[in-house]
Amino acid sequence: MATGLKHAAFQVRYGIAAVVAVAGLFVLGAFVSPNLTFRISYAVSFVVLAAIGLAIIFGIMGVINLAHGEFILVGAYVTTFAVTAGGFPLPVAMLAGALVTAVFGLVVERVIISGYVPNWIGQRTVGRDLIKPFYDRLADSMVATFGLSLIMVQGARILFGNSIDQIGVPFGSTAGYPDYRIALVGITAGVLALVYVLFTQTVFGTRVRATMQDEQTARALGIDTERTYMYTFAIGSGLAGFTGALFAPLLSMQPSIGDQFLVEAFVAVVVGGASVVVGTSLSGLLLGPIDAVLSDQFGEFAGRIALLGTAMLALRFLPGGITGFIDRVRTMREGGS
Amino acid sequence: MNDRLSRRRFVTAGGAAMVAGLAGCSQSEGGDAGDGSSDGASTDTTSSADTVKIGVLEDQSGNFALVGDPKYKASMLAIEEINADGGIDGKQIEPVTADPQSDNQRYQELTREYINEEEVDVLWAGYSSATREAIRPIINRNEQLYFYTTQYEGGVCDSTTFAVGPTARQQLGTVLPYLREEFGPEIYTIAADYNFGQLSADWVKVLADENDAEVLGEEFIPLSESSFGSTISRIQDADPDFVMSMLVGANHTAFYEQKASSGLDVPIGTSTAMAQGYEHRRIDPPAMANIYAGVNYMEEVPTESNTGDGGFVDRYFEMYPDAPYLNEEAETNYFSTYMYKEAVEQAGTLEQPEVIEALESGISLGTERAPEAPAGETIELDPATHHVDHHMWVMKADEEHNIESVKNEKIPEQFLSNTVGCDLTQQDEQTQYTPVDYFEEAE
Amino acid sequence: MAAESPAADSRSAPAAIARLRNRLEGPNTIGNSRWFWVGFALVLAVLVAIPIVGSGTGGQFSLFLVLGLLGLSLSFVWGYAGILSFGQTVFFGVGAYTFGVVSINFPSPTGITGAVVAGTVAGAGLAALLGYFMFYGGVRDVYVTIITLVSTLVALTFMAQTAGSEWTIGEAALGGFNGMPGMPLFTLGIEGLFSFQFVYNEYEVFIPLLGTRVFDPFYYLVLVLLVAAYLGLRVLVNMDFGRVLVAIREDEDRTMMFGYDVERAKLVAFTIGGGLAGLSGVLYAARNVYIDPSVFELYFATLPVVWVSVGGRKSLLGAVAATIAVEYLRLSLGGEFALVAVGALLLLSILFLPGGVVPWVDGKIARSRLVASDGDSPGGPAEVSDS
Repeated sequence: MATGLKHAAFQVRYGIAAVVAVAGLFVLGAFVSPNLTFRISYAVSFVVLAAIGLAIIFGIMGVINLAHGEFILVGAYVTTFAVTAGGFPLPVAMLAGALVTAVFGLVVERVIISGYVPNWIGQRTVGRDLIKPFYDRLADSMVATFGLSLIMVQGARILFGNSIDQIGVPFGSTAGYPDYRIALVGITAGVLALVYVLFTQTVFGTRVRATMQDEQTARALGIDTERTYMYTFAIGSGLAGFTGALFAPLLSMQPSIGDQFLVEAFVAVVVGGASVVVGTSLSGLLLGPIDAVLSDQFGEFAGRIALLGTAMLALRFLPGGITGFIDRVRTMREGGS
Repeated sequence: MNDRLSRRRFVTAGGAAMVAGLAGCSQSEGGDAGDGSSDGASTDTTSSADTVKIGVLEDQSGNFALVGDPKYKASMLAIEEINADGGIDGKQIEPVTADPQSDNQRYQELTREYINEEEVDVLWAGYSSATREAIRPIINRNEQLYFYTTQYEGGVCDSTTFAVGPTARQQLGTVLPYLREEFGPEIYTIAADYNFGQLSADWVKVLADENDAEVLGEEFIPLSESSFGSTISRIQDADPDFVMSMLVGANHTAFYEQKASSGLDVPIGTSTAMAQGYEHRRIDPPAMANIYAGVNYMEEVPTESNTGDGGFVDRYFEMYPDAPYLNEEAETNYFSTYMYKEAVEQAGTLEQPEVIEALESGISLGTERAPEAPAGETIELDPATHHVDHHMWVMKADEEHNIESVKNEKIPEQFLSNTVGCDLTQQDEQTQYTPVDYFEEAE
Repeated sequence: MAAESPAADSRSAPAAIARLRNRLEGPNTIGNSRWFWVGFALVLAVLVAIPIVGSGTGGQFSLFLVLGLLGLSLSFVWGYAGILSFGQTVFFGVGAYTFGVVSINFPSPTGITGAVVAGTVAGAGLAALLGYFMFYGGVRDVYVTIITLVSTLVALTFMAQTAGSEWTIGEAALGGFNGMPGMPLFTLGIEGLFSFQFVYNEYEVFIPLLGTRVFDPFYYLVLVLLVAAYLGLRVLVNMDFGRVLVAIREDEDRTMMFGYDVERAKLVAFTIGGGLAGLSGVLYAARNVYIDPSVFELYFATLPVVWVSVGGRKSLLGAVAATIAVEYLRLSLGGEFALVAVGALLLLSILFLPGGVVPWVDGKIARSRLVASDGDSPGGPAEVSDS
């Protein structure tokens, strides 16, 4: 229909404009003040990479995964072990990290989130379902996944000790800033693009968006929503694992590294709102610079407080997050024409 | 209400009562609760006249497990050696241990239990200063003899507490003058944003003043922060002759890796890195190159009694072949156990007030029991302040993370003795003093 | 309770008890029969007896009772008002620190008593502020939870860096990571008139058949406060206000459309919860003669959620019982597996018993009773117990 096309055109127009604007700013900044630009870009990438896995799971399944930090831990540890114990080259190890985390996420989804496995057992033994799925049970999913995260962190400590040997940072440095971190910025853009393509250009992506929009109708139209949720959770987990893999050379490998990501991820997802790509990237673009610039001027403590404060203000004044805000703007504009 | 439905209320309430009651009844069994150690034999018999009950509460899991575990192991090593050698005054030592899991609440409960129910004769407890402060009210209330063995900010003047680890003034006081001479007078300080870091930074200012150096800038980083991009860029801008780093904890380890990959190679003096958390073993070279640790001990300290055949390092790894490292605090746990032994033998009794008096008579240990001291040298327990005149080392890591000693000297405890005038032989006190009250430069 | 009215007129005694029980009972709480109260009295007797009969002084147990107040506060705001708050420990911590600051600056018994009030008010006040910010700003459901979680992080980040000596209020140094030292021993009363020291003031009492027992007054003080809070909340949730809260919990929009001032109700509930949490913090600081920022840590912030999830968020009794049980378990399980056990406990309880243990037990017994008796009598309210 006409409005549908206009809708799509609107999206594409704004999407391209946004990408061009961001890229332009980056290039400009790289000439004016390279170190600051790199640091801000890195801060943005950190937020986006931390949040993307969580955003997919939250936005699409309505589940808050407080064990997100620990999924990142899995990816980081697998990558590190693949390099130190397996001798694999870093890119291969990183892929391995992402894959293993995806599989782990699959297991978690089947056993805990959807309760498929326990219910299957329950049906065979006592003739009824044992567990209610966690979809759209936001508070309960927080509690359950927090329990899971406790088990995972302590489990990692018991199995692997208080720290494991680290892998070094590849590449050198430019203008006093590590090249690897600059590369991360590019990788982040790539990840966002990949997620965008996955969810808008593939059949699977269409199924996911249909399920997200209206589960009953989607099921009535023949989409296996259970499967869709399963794969979505696996993808979200895999992305979290990839984040861990990417940061493995940069951080001290201890069971507690999940904590460093959880706050940023959480805040970014909630500020960003339901849209996975748009929400996450925009909230990254908002929060990253705030943290970077304030840390720069007033110290890391101020940066942290500013981040948390922004989150609280956004939660209060932007219900539905940035995505909700954009939707309202769009409706207002389209209502006028 | 309906009586037919009423009994379930009773059972519900009764069930809750049962849970509470069981909890209460078995709670009073006391001694066995919370024992996570695999080595110590803990029982709940009261201290008989035939054994010496030594309480050891060190973190073997949780945030401080990395640095707390060697402390535990070294205490056990000392206890085993003493027992094999006939014990203290003929009495065997009975260690009473548990794992407080880096949780101050647990420390408080266990301390209470060890003092009131186990009735330990002496207590070693805690890695962090926060832990020490959390249990000091209980220690003070019960006038319990207590050894605190971690290197710390200094200033604790407490009648029953013996803070025998090196103080910030001793640690920084050895490395800062050395670096000032080697590299120049301009210093940039980075420190963990909590008491220890803040107070150490104050000491850097005091020492800079005493050594004709200047602090260009100070930066305090929250313990939870692991991203040092802006810090590194500020250091690059300030271009100091050397950096003083008092970063603490797992997240801060990332600084060294990040600085290396930024191409920042300014020399760094530290009182916290390498000796406690053995970063030089865990991180790939050359991240820790040009880092100078000012410490009383680390595994690589080149004294005969430490690295020689059958020395401290050998004995430790014989008992614990899988241990990853023998860290700074472990040696303090080790020698303080021997100091206790000497004091008890001197006092002729286990009664804590008499043992404390004996400790205040001037105990010193030679290199055999205090491997930080080179052959022929000693370390002393200062009677007035309950602190130790340590033998300090400046240990440097090179490009391959090999450690060598570039300087060593004996540094007595100065702050409490000279500046504050804390004298526990004359007057009982339970205070912690800070440099900012005594030095203008620390403002 | 099962106590007798002191009136000499025996005709008014059962009437008085009936009136009292009417206040305390209702569809919003578990336990509405005489048997329940008998059981309750028994539990109380056990709690009173523990320090006397057991060989400990009840010292560790008093900690569980103090934390029970915290669990109670969360059960009230979560189970009854539907507000999942990760911020109860913020009010707890603020209450504790306020108590510390005030009592260090005014170390007389009057001052310490005032400090208790100050701490409770601080907890309630901060909750009122945060509640106003959230509820009157239209923040709902999970976003409220996230804001409370973020406020915990803010509190931790802030308090941990108050190490410098500039962070001193009057005589009291906030102390940063090391905590606030120098608190006076908890002594309540009025200077010159009467006062009583509760902490570190054990009495030796000779009891026939048991010998000399050590009696810790602080334990009994906390027990009294906990029981009072529990009973008070019972009355509150069975009043109209409680019914409004439950209506909000079940369907906020519908309740609003019926004309109830939803924001105000939530604000009041949240403030009460904050005050209770603040009081719990005050007692915590008083008991340990110490407070540090570790109470603002994420792990500690989630513990009340663990307790209330396990015990049953819609049951005040369940919250208290679970707090005591889980804390006892957590603190006595040494070694590495303690944290794994807590995590597993949380996970399993939310998976299989999302309503909590006590309501589940209650429901099971209800069903078995119903099955046993053919046809229920039409009298008596149905128990609103969700599992």
